[in-house]
Amino acid sequence: MFSFYLFPLVIILCVETITSKRISRNAVLFILLAVLLAVTLSLLPEGFFTWLWDKLNVFATVFLGIFVEAVPYLLLGTFASGLVEVFMDRDAMSRWVSNRPGAAAISGAFMGMVFPVCECGVVPLTRRLFKKGLPLSAGISFLLAAPVLNPIVIISTASAFGWGEMLLWRFVISLVIAVTVGLVFSAQGEAAEVLRPVMAGDDHDHIHAEAGDSVREKIRKALLITVDEFFDMGRYLVLGSMLAAGLQTFVSQSALLAIGSGPVLSVLVMLLLAVILSICSTVDSFVALGFTGVFSFGSVLSFLVFGPMVDIKSVMMYLQVFKRRAVFYIVGIPFLMSLAAGLVFNYFVK
Amino acid sequence: MSQRMFRSYQGLLLSGLFIFFVVKAVNGQLTWYINSRFVPLTIVGMIFLGILAQTIFTENRRSRLHETEHPDHHHEHDHAPSAVNLWVMLIPILIGVLIPARPLDSSAFATKGFNTSAPLISSDSSASIFETESQARNVLDWLKLFSFQDDVTPFIGEEASVIGFVYFDDQLASDQFYVSRFVVSCCAADGFAVAMPARWDDAATLRQDAWVLVTGNIESVTIKGQRVPMIVAETVQPVDAPDQPYLFP
Repeated sequence: MFSFYLFPLVIILCVETITSKRISRNAVLFILLAVLLAVTLSLLPEGFFTWLWDKLNVFATVFLGIFVEAVPYLLLGTFASGLVEVFMDRDAMSRWVSNRPGAAAISGAFMGMVFPVCECGVVPLTRRLFKKGLPLSAGISFLLAAPVLNPIVIISTASAFGWGEMLLWRFVISLVIAVTVGLVFSAQGEAAEVLRPVMAGDDHDHIHAEAGDSVREKIRKALLITVDEFFDMGRYLVLGSMLAAGLQTFVSQSALLAIGSGPVLSVLVMLLLAVILSICSTVDSFVALGFTGVFSFGSVLSFLVFGPMVDIKSVMMYLQVFKRRAVFYIVGIPFLMSLAAGLVFNYFVK
Repeated sequence: MSQRMFRSYQGLLLSGLFIFFVVKAVNGQLTWYINSRFVPLTIVGMIFLGILAQTIFTENRRSRLHETEHPDHHHEHDHAPSAVNLWVMLIPILIGVLIPARPLDSSAFATKGFNTSAPLISSDSSASIFETESQARNVLDWLKLFSFQDDVTPFIGEEASVIGFVYFDDQLASDQFYVSRFVVSCCAADGFAVAMPARWDDAATLRQDAWVLVTGNIESVTIKGQRVPMIVAETVQPVDAPDQPYLFP
């Protein structure tokens, strides 16, 4: 209510200052804004600040939840990237990975077995592998498949669902999607055409492995690369987690789950939830397990296939590494294919 | 900005993150954010952050020594990237410091919802709940029993003793309240609340979100068409919030 008494006073003050020209325009503007703020605050319903404070607390807890969960995995991925830089040379890459698109896409999809990373760690590692001469189709299928086709995720999925159909289909469908997108990209030719150029002044590539480095020197360089990439990718993890936490604070999940019945809607809801929740692929099967009671096999499967490929934080990281057009395909094709897989299971299988 | 300055900022932020994790681990607050299953991994990540910070500081000392030894040999890349990008990493530290840590509570119900049955939990583990003493069952165990057992008559009248926070719902009578817990499978992002109703004559004296230990006998009631266990409370004692506020299924 205090603004009520303040108001005439401020108006007088404003008129005074404008006419006298003693105070700058900015000061007047500032006072007006302050008055506007005071009026708005006094008009707000009672309990607004408790409400806002509660929301802020939920936001902070959810945000830190995603962040704390993801940091170890991001460190793992960036460290792997550092090790690749110092211990692997381009010749080894061309020996390991075929240049024919089909074979490259398939071998790329299985590279996750050697590099067990989840969707946060896979982005910097893929970029590093491209620099080491990995063919485009192999890199893209690695990017999409590695968060699922790796030993850690196999074990976590098995411990949630058992060695059964869910595990099998999760891996088969992820593999098919990853290889398909890899092949689509192989038509693009060179990796340089889909990768964003590293911006001038943002070039971390002053750290190079040199022949003749001792192992100690190599590890030092690997750790420095780890730090650079941790910050480079970490900011997208932070921004992505903030967005995800914000959505979770203000968009009702119970309402989302409530509309999620029916063979088509349930798949769409699960796909949307996979994006919003933004949980790490190494642990998402435990969350998916929770949905099995209310959602059909096909919907939960689409959640498990799509979530590791696309969520808010990974899309932000993709945008940092790939050109927009490329991100459109990396997100769009898996979406349509996961949707199709979910529908096929809902209508024809179970 | 010089390369060394850039490295110093990196080192400071890494140390900040390291300290943030150490403080949360020492306070036992990591489980306010993630399932206890992932705590060991987080500790490993925390140690690695410390090693990285140490690497950066050693690197800077090295480059300083290098410069004093070869003062004329100017560094070829002394144009480090802008530090603005680094400061994003300050956000989690700031949020952790400025907003007092608080586990999920009833204020998250509006978006996360709460369940009086256990539809979101697999029925696999329900067999072992039979063998537990009735007083050792938590809120989630009771809800699982009532969701997955066809016949709940053996449980009616059993003595229950559960801890949870108080939640008042408009749909309950004035002498009733919910005893609630959050269930977290991996991190707070997937947390959802489970709640079982309790009846107590002095329910009106309780405060929303207060932690209580409720003891009494189980009764079967129907809420929104669902069969739900209700505690007819003999005692309702205020207790401290448990060290692990969430249930980990």
